[in-house]
Amino acid sequence: MYTLEAQDISKSYGGVRALDRAAIAVRPGSVHALLGENGAGKSTLVKIMTGAIRPDSGVLRLDGADVRFASTADAFRQGVGVVSQELSLFPHLSVLANMFPMREPRRGPFVDRREMLRLAVPILDELGLEVDPMVPVSRLPLAERQLVEIGKALVTKPRVLLLDEPTSALESGATDRLLHILRVLRSQDVAVVFVSHILEEVMSVCDEITVLRDGVVVTAGEDVGAHTVESVVSAMIGDRPRVVVRPSGRALAEQAVATTTSGLRVDGVTLHRTVQDVSFAVEPGEIVGLAGLAGSGPAELLRALAGIESPVRGTISLPGGIKAPHGQRAHIAAGVAYVSGDRRRLGLMLDKPVWENVVQVRTMAMGKDGAFLRVPGLVTRAGEHMSRLNIRASSPEATAGSLSGGNQQKVVLAKWLDNTPSTIVLDDPTRGVDIGAKAEIHGLLGDLAAAGAVVVLRSTDLEELVAVCERVIVLYRGRICAELRGDGLSTSALLQLMNTGELAPEGSQAPAS
Amino acid sequence: MSTKIDERRPEAAPRRAGVGTVVRKVFGADWSSAAIALVGLIVVVGLLRPEFLSFTQLSNVAQQSVYVALMASGLAFLITQGEVDLSVGGTYVLSAVATAILIQNGLDPWLAAICGLLLAVAVGALNSVVVLGIRINSLIATLAMGWVLRGLSAAISGGRQIIGMPIDHPFFTILGGGEILNVAVSVWILVLVVAVLTVVLRATPFGFRVREIGSNEDAAQFAGIPVRRTKATAFLMSGFIAGIAGLLGLAFFTSGDPTSGNGFELFAVAGAVIGGNPLTGGRATVFGAAIGAVLLNAVSIALVYFNIPAVWSQFATGLIIISAVSVDGIRRHRRSPQDA
Ligand SMILES: Nc1ncnc2c1ncn2[C@@H]1O[C@H](COP(=O)(O)OP(=O)(O)OP(=O)(O)O)[C@@H](O)[C@H]1O
Ligand SMILES: [Mg+2]
Repeated sequence: MYTLEAQDISKSYGGVRALDRAAIAVRPGSVHALLGENGAGKSTLVKIMTGAIRPDSGVLRLDGADVRFASTADAFRQGVGVVSQELSLFPHLSVLANMFPMREPRRGPFVDRREMLRLAVPILDELGLEVDPMVPVSRLPLAERQLVEIGKALVTKPRVLLLDEPTSALESGATDRLLHILRVLRSQDVAVVFVSHILEEVMSVCDEITVLRDGVVVTAGEDVGAHTVESVVSAMIGDRPRVVVRPSGRALAEQAVATTTSGLRVDGVTLHRTVQDVSFAVEPGEIVGLAGLAGSGPAELLRALAGIESPVRGTISLPGGIKAPHGQRAHIAAGVAYVSGDRRRLGLMLDKPVWENVVQVRTMAMGKDGAFLRVPGLVTRAGEHMSRLNIRASSPEATAGSLSGGNQQKVVLAKWLDNTPSTIVLDDPTRGVDIGAKAEIHGLLGDLAAAGAVVVLRSTDLEELVAVCERVIVLYRGRICAELRGDGLSTSALLQLMNTGELAPEGSQAPAS
Repeated sequence: MSTKIDERRPEAAPRRAGVGTVVRKVFGADWSSAAIALVGLIVVVGLLRPEFLSFTQLSNVAQQSVYVALMASGLAFLITQGEVDLSVGGTYVLSAVATAILIQNGLDPWLAAICGLLLAVAVGALNSVVVLGIRINSLIATLAMGWVLRGLSAAISGGRQIIGMPIDHPFFTILGGGEILNVAVSVWILVLVVAVLTVVLRATPFGFRVREIGSNEDAAQFAGIPVRRTKATAFLMSGFIAGIAGLLGLAFFTSGDPTSGNGFELFAVAGAVIGGNPLTGGRATVFGAAIGAVLLNAVSIALVYFNIPAVWSQFATGLIIISAVSVDGIRRHRRSPQDA
C-alpha cells in the first residue's frame, strides 16, 4: 500500500518535455530518494505531486484513491507537505508568521500567538535554528531561511513530506540534524520523498531510489541495498561518457580572467561584530577556501572582499597592489566577481531571458560594450557562455526562471565570468548543481586559477572545499584558528576546527600566520 | 553534452519572419492592448459619429493628448523601477507659469523657455534627493511635491493667468501654432521624444539598467548597477519632459495658467500603466505609455461627442481605466507560466 502515488505523469513547457510518463510511489515509513541530473524533471514531479502545478496528463493517488490538489495549500490540508527547492517565504514577515502561512492557529477572530510559539519553537529547536522567531525572514541568511522553510512543512505534521534539495544551503551540522529528523519521521510512518545532489547523504538515509533522466524514469523505486553511488550516477547520466572532456577548458579560462602579478592581501581586518583582526594572502593561481560556522565570519569576510561591507579596521588590497576601493560597484570595476549561491535574491532576474542575465555585469552594469547596444551580438555571446558551461535551456531567449535550479546557478557563474574578473569570490557556487556539473565547475575553477585568477571559496559542502582548495583557512569565532593544507586538509579536521577552534593532537596543524 | 541543448529546443524556435510572426509579435507586445483599444475606440466612435473620423478632429485629439502623453513617456522609466513621479502635473504648471512670468517681464521667450526647463530639471533633482537621499517613498514624496509646485505657481502668479504674451514671437507661432505636413509641431515633438526615449530604453545600458532594477533590485545592486544613480537620472528625465510639456502648453494656450493641468499626473500614470508599464516593474515601453495616455484622452473627447455630461465623463474615464488595466492583467496571467 502506497501513501502517495504518481502515475504516467507527463508535463511539457512549450517544446520542452520536462516529464514523460514519469511515476513514483511512496510507502509509509520509508524515505524515497528522487534523483537525476539538473533539469531531469525532479522539481517538476515534486511540484505536480504537491499541487503547485498541474500535469498535462497522469494521475495522483493518496492512500489508493485518486486525488487532485488544487494548490499546495490544498495538499497541505490533506497531509502532503513540501519543502520546495526555491524558497517560498514572505520576506517581510517574521519567522513565526512564515511557519503558518494562511493557517495561523486562532482564538476567536485573533491569531493565537502563544499557540503558534508552542507549536513552532520545538521544531525550530530540533532543526537547530537559533533565531528570535519574531525577526523578519529577510534578515536571515539563506541557510536559516532554508530551515524556516523546512520548519514550515514539519509544523503541519504531514503524512507525506516531499523535500526538494533541502540540504543544498545547509552546513553539515544542520544537515545531520535534518537527516536525523527524517529518520524519526520514518519511524512515525511518514512517507518521505527526498531530492538531493549529494549522493552520499542520500544513500545514508533513504530506503528506495527513483532516478529520472530527461523526464523519464530509469530506475523505478528500487531498494537502496541494490545500489551504490556509482550505479546511481550511471543511471542518472545514461550512456554518455562519464568524464566530461573540456578541450576548451584552458582556453576559456584564459579568456575569462584578467591576469595580475600580485595577489589579494587581507591585513588585520576587523569587521563590524564578526571578524577580528584577520590577515591572509591569496596569490594568483591559488584557490583558497574559507571555512567556519555561520556567525564565525567566513560569509562576512567574503562580503568584505566583494566590497559590500567595509572593514572597521585593517586593509584589503586587490591583486595588482590596488588598494580596495569603496563600494561594491568599484570592486567589480576593479575585477572582483562575487558569485552567490543565493541565486533567486542576489543572482538572477528570473523574468528576464538568460542572455540578459549573462551579459548583465559586463554590458549593463559596467558599460564595457559602449553606449549603444546591439542585442543580437549579446545573445550570441551569452549563447557561447551557455554552451561552455553546459547550461541547459531551450535557447538564450528562455527566461531564467524557467531553467532548473542547477542550470540557474550556472547562469550566475556565467554572468561573472563574462566580466573577466581577476579575483573570484564564491559563496556556495555549486548549490543545487548535480555531481557531473559540479565536477565541471570545479575543473573550471582550477582552470581559472591556473590562468592567473585569485579564487576564494566558501562552501557549506566541506567535501567541496577539500576537493577544490589548495588550502583552507578556518575561522572560529571571528578569528583564524588554523590553516589546513595538503594531507592535513580533510573534512573531519575541518569539522573539528570549525566547531572547537582546535585540532586533536595527532592532526598536523599549521598555526595562523 | 552540447547536443542536449539542441534536443530540448522547442519546435517553435525557428525564426521565420512571416505574416504570422509579425502578427504574433504585435499582439504579444506590451503595448498591444492599449493600441488595439485605441484603434477600436476610434472605429466605434467613427461608425456612430462619422465626423469624428475627420483629419482635423483626429489631429485635435492627438494635439490635446501631447502633454499627458509626454509625461507618461517619461514616467515609463520610473514605473519600471518601482518608483513614480506624481509631481509631473505640478512641474507642467510651474514651468509654464514661471516661463510666462519671465516673458511678461521682457525676457526673450527662448531664453525664458530654457529657464523653465532648468526649473523643471531642478524639480526632478529635488525629487531624487527626497526619494533617494532622505528615502521617502516616491508616491508620497512626489504627491506632496506636486502640491508644493502648484502652490508655488499660484503664489508667484498671484493666482491669476499670466497673459500678454508676444504671440507673434516664433516661440508661440512655431511651438504653439505651427504645423508640419498638417500636423501640429507639438505632435511631432511628442513623436520625436517617444522615438528618442525608445532607443534609450531598448539600446543603451541605461535603458537595460532601468528594467533590470525593476526585475530584481538586489541582484542589480550585486551586479554593480548603480541603482541610485539610475533612479536619480530617471527622476531628472521625468522632470525635464514635464517641463517640455509645460512649455508646449504655454505656447499653445499663450498664457500661463496656475490652475491648468488638473489631474494630468493621474492620466499620465494611468496611461503609462495601461500602455504596458506594469506597476510591478521590470518591463517598460515608451510607445505604450504614450499610446495609453492618448487613449485616455481620446476617451474623454469621445464622451463629449456623445453629449455625455461632464459629471459622467469622469465616471466613465475611471471605469475605462479599471477595465483596461484588468484586461491587461488577465492577459498577462494567461501568458506567463503557471509557476514563474
Ligand atoms: N516554468 C517553466 N517554463 C519552462 N520550462 C520549465 C519550467 N520549469 C521547468 N522547466 C524545464 O523543465 C525541465 C525540468 O526542470 P526541473 O526544474 O524539474 O529540473 P530538476 O530535475 O529539478 O533540476 P535541478 O536539479 O537543476 O533542480 C528543465 O528542462 C526546465 O528547463
Ligand atoms: Mg530542481
